[in-house]
Amino acid sequence: MRSTRGRAEAPRGLVAATLALALALAFAPACSEKLPAPIPSASPEGAAPKRGGVLELATFGDVRSLDPANITDGLAPQIIEQVFAGLVDYDKDGTIQPDIAERWVIADEGKTYRFFLREGVRFHDGEEVTADDVKRSVERALHGSARNPAASYYSSIVGFDALDAKEAESLPGVVVEGRYVVAFHLSKRDATFLRVLAMLPLRPVCKSGGARTSASWHPCGAGPFKLPPNGWQRGQQLTVVRHDGYFRPGLPHLDGVRWTLHQNQSSQTFKFMRGDLDIVRDFATPELLRFQADPRWKPFATYDEAHQILGEAMNVQIPPFDNVEIRRAVAAGIDRDALRRIRASNLTATNQLVPPGVFGHDTDLHGQRSDYEAALEHMRRAGYPYDPVTKTGGWPHVIPYLVYKQGLQEFMGQVLAQQLEKIGLRIEIRIVNYPTFIALRGRRDATAFGPGFWLQDFPDALSFLEPIFHSKMIADEGTNNWSFYKNPRIDDLIDRAHEELDDERRKKLYSEAQEILTDDAPWAFSQNFRFYTQRQGYVRDHHSHPMWMHELKRTWLDRAAGPVAGRAIFSEKGLAALLGTDVRR
Amino acid sequence: MKRVLRRLAWAAFVMWATVSVAFLVNNALPSDPARMVAGQQAPPAAVEKIRKQLGLDQPLRVQYVLFLRRLVHLGPSSIAGPSDPEHGSCANLGALHVDLGRSYQQQRPVTTILAERAPRTLLLAFTAAIVQALIGVTAGVIAAVKKRKTADRVAVGLSLLGVSAPTFVIGLLLQWVFAFKLRLFPIDGYGNTTAEHAASLVLPAVTLGVFGAAYYTRIVRDEMIGELSHDYVRTARAKGLGKAAVVVRHALRNATMPIVTIFGLEVGTLVGGAIITESVFRWPGIGSLSVNAMLDRDGPVIMGCVVVTSAVVVLSTLAVDLAYVILDPRVRRG
Repeated sequence: MRSTRGRAEAPRGLVAATLALALALAFAPACSEKLPAPIPSASPEGAAPKRGGVLELATFGDVRSLDPANITDGLAPQIIEQVFAGLVDYDKDGTIQPDIAERWVIADEGKTYRFFLREGVRFHDGEEVTADDVKRSVERALHGSARNPAASYYSSIVGFDALDAKEAESLPGVVVEGRYVVAFHLSKRDATFLRVLAMLPLRPVCKSGGARTSASWHPCGAGPFKLPPNGWQRGQQLTVVRHDGYFRPGLPHLDGVRWTLHQNQSSQTFKFMRGDLDIVRDFATPELLRFQADPRWKPFATYDEAHQILGEAMNVQIPPFDNVEIRRAVAAGIDRDALRRIRASNLTATNQLVPPGVFGHDTDLHGQRSDYEAALEHMRRAGYPYDPVTKTGGWPHVIPYLVYKQGLQEFMGQVLAQQLEKIGLRIEIRIVNYPTFIALRGRRDATAFGPGFWLQDFPDALSFLEPIFHSKMIADEGTNNWSFYKNPRIDDLIDRAHEELDDERRKKLYSEAQEILTDDAPWAFSQNFRFYTQRQGYVRDHHSHPMWMHELKRTWLDRAAGPVAGRAIFSEKGLAALLGTDVRR
Repeated sequence: MKRVLRRLAWAAFVMWATVSVAFLVNNALPSDPARMVAGQQAPPAAVEKIRKQLGLDQPLRVQYVLFLRRLVHLGPSSIAGPSDPEHGSCANLGALHVDLGRSYQQQRPVTTILAERAPRTLLLAFTAAIVQALIGVTAGVIAAVKKRKTADRVAVGLSLLGVSAPTFVIGLLLQWVFAFKLRLFPIDGYGNTTAEHAASLVLPAVTLGVFGAAYYTRIVRDEMIGELSHDYVRTARAKGLGKAAVVVRHALRNATMPIVTIFGLEVGTLVGGAIITESVFRWPGIGSLSVNAMLDRDGPVIMGCVVVTSAVVVLSTLAVDLAYVILDPRVRRG
C-alpha cells in the first residue's frame, strides 16, 4: 500500500479555503433565507373544535420507560400524562384539579385524604377504574421492588417504610372504603401530599399492570390517549391514539399524538419549517431568535413560566467557601445581567431560589444583589482584600470550577471566571462529561465550586428547599445538597413548612428560609430558565403546561393548507416517491 | 489450516482483551450509573436502592467475574421465558448462551436491543462501504487513466475535500440540499416499510461513505498509476488489446489487493465510526445506541456495543486474511 489514510498531499490551506467556500455557498441561502409563513388555521377564532388529525412533536431525548412507577427521564412525563389519568391532576396554571376523583375531603387534621371516584371511568382495556385499582397501583408503585425514584415523596403514607423495605406486601395507609371511595392515611400532616399525588407515579394502571412492576408490561391506563400495540418504536418514534372511552365527553379532539425521538435541533427546525412538525421547543438559539424576530410567528409563540433555577453552588465544607464572607462576595460579585445575555432568549436574572412560576416565590424578597463594591467589602471582611487597581490580593489559590461539557453552564463559566477575577477569586474551569459532573458534585469533598441547577418536581418551594438545602439530604455519595449546607434553622423551617397546610403561613416560612439563604449564600442564585414554544398557526387550543410541557386534551388541528410543499423542487419526483415513500413524514 | 487456527486464537484473545479493558475503563470512570438511572434529582436513598438492585454495590472484581461468566455460558437449549431469572436475558445458540444482562435504563435484555440495532448499523456500514468502493474505484481509475488532465485534478481535488470535511458537516449539507430543499429523501429516521428503509438509507450511507470514497480515490489512483506503467500493460496493448480491457481486466485486478484490505478493514471502521452519521440522521443503530449508553452510563449496553463492534472488526480482519489466501497465490504458498 503506497499511501496511508489521512495523509494530505496537497496544501491544506487551499483545501480548507475551498471547503469553506463550498460550505459557505451551500449554507448561505439557509442562513439568509426568510422564514416561511406559518401555515394558517382554516377556521376563524372562536370556531368549534374539530375532531381528527395526529399532532406531530419531536424531541432530542428518548423515553426509557412508560411505567408511571418508573419515571427516570425528562420526556416520559409528558407522554405518561396522556396515557394515565390520576385521582387529581394539575391544570395548565399548575392548580390541583379533580380528575378520576370528582372530589376529596381532608380530615383528621390533615392526616386523612378521602377521595370519591367518578363512576364509569374506563381503563384502555375497558375495565372500570375502582378504588381497588387505586390501592393496587399505589402499592405496586411504592413496593421496594419497584425502581421508583420518586417513592420517597409518599413516605408520609402509613406503612410506607415497611413496604419500601419489602417487609410488608400491602400499605395499611391506603384503605378501600367502597367501590368508589379510597382513603389515604398519613403518619403526619403533609402540605405537599395533594401536589405529589397529582404527579405521575401513583396513577392507576390496568389490572394487566399487576401487583408489582414488570419491564415487559404494555402501558395501560385511563388517560385520554392509549398506546397501541406497536405504538412505541424505541429510539425512533412513539405514537398514542385517542382513548374513545375517556371519561371527559368529547375529549380529546386529536386522533393521536406522535413524538419523533432523538431528532436533533436542526432536523426539527427543517421539519417545522416544512410543516411536518406542528410544535417545536428544542430550538438552536439562532433559529429561536429568527422565529422571535418574525412578527408573523409571534401570535403562535409562548414562553413558559420559569420553573428552573440556575446558580453557583459553593461547597461550604471546602475552603474558601467555608468562609461565609467569600460566599457573600461571590453572590454580590456576579453580574447577573451579563450572565443572562449569554442566552437572553431563555434566561431571566433572579435574586432568589424559588422561580416565579412556583408557589413560594417572593416578589418582595430583597434577595441577593449584584453589587461590585459590596463584593469587594465582603472579600475584605473575609480577610482577603482585593485591590482592583493594582490587581493584587484576593484568595491566593486557584479554585477549580467543575462544569459539564457543552452545557449552557460551560459558557456561563467562562464569563463567571472573568467576573470573579475582578474581586480576587481566580477560578479554573474543569470540563467533564455530564455523568461525571453529576457524580462528582454529589460526592463529599470532591468539588468546591460549580454550577447548580434545579427544576421543580412539583410547583412548590419545598421542591427546591428540601432536596437542595435540607441537611438530611447530605450523603457521602449522590447527594443533591451540592453545597453540603447544614443549617438547623433552615431544617426547622423546611420541616415546619412540610406540615403547614395553610398556604399563607407556609409562604411566610418559605420567605424566612429564603432570607437566610440569601445571607448565608450556599448558592449564588443567578438565573431562571424559560422554555420557548413555537407552534404552527393551525394548532388550536394548545397551551404549555407547567408540569407536562403540553396541555393536549383540548388541542385540535385545523390546517388550512398542506405543508410548504410548493417550495420543493422535486417533491413528487424523488427516489423516495418512486419507491412509494412519503418523504414528508 | 494452522495459520487459520492461529488467527482464530489471536482473534479470541483480542476480543477478550478489548472487552476486559472496556469493562475496567467503564467502571473506572468517576460516575454513578445508579444516579443516571434514578435521574439527577432523585434523593440519595433512591439512588442507593437502585445501586443495590443493579448489583453495583458489589466489588468490581465480583462484577467482572459475573460479567465474564454470564457473557458466554452453557444453558438449557431454549429459554424458559422473560421471567426465567437464570436465562431471561440470554440469546441462545442451542446450548450456548450469550448474556449481556439487562439495560439499566430500558430494563430489556441487551441481546434483544442489539438484535434490533446491529443489523441496521451493519446495513448502513455495508452500504457505505459499497458506496465508497464504487465511487472511489471509479474516480481513482479515471484519475489514473487521465493522469494530470482535468479529470484527474477534479478527482484529486474532490478527494481532498472529502477527507477534509467533517462528517457532520457533510451530513447536514446533504440533509439540507437533498431532504429539505429538493425533498428527494427523508430528512432522517429509519422508516417503517422496506421502501422507506431504502429511501432513508441513501443520505446516511453517502455521508458515511464520503470520507472512504475520497480515500479510495487516492489509493486506487496511486495503485493504478503504478500498474499502468508495468511492462505487462505495454505488452497487452502491443498485442492489440483495447485500452478499457487492459485497464479493467489487467491493471485494476492487480491493483485490488490493497483495496480488498481496506474494504475489509473499512467495514469494521464504518461500524465503529457510524456514531456521528447515525446521530445526525437519527439512524437507530449501534452508533446512536452507544452514544446514548455512554451518556447514560448504561454499562450493559456499553459492553454490548463493545462486544459487537470488536467482533465485527476482528471478523472483518479475519475475512481480509482469508481473502488474501484466495486472491494471492503467493500467500497460499506461504
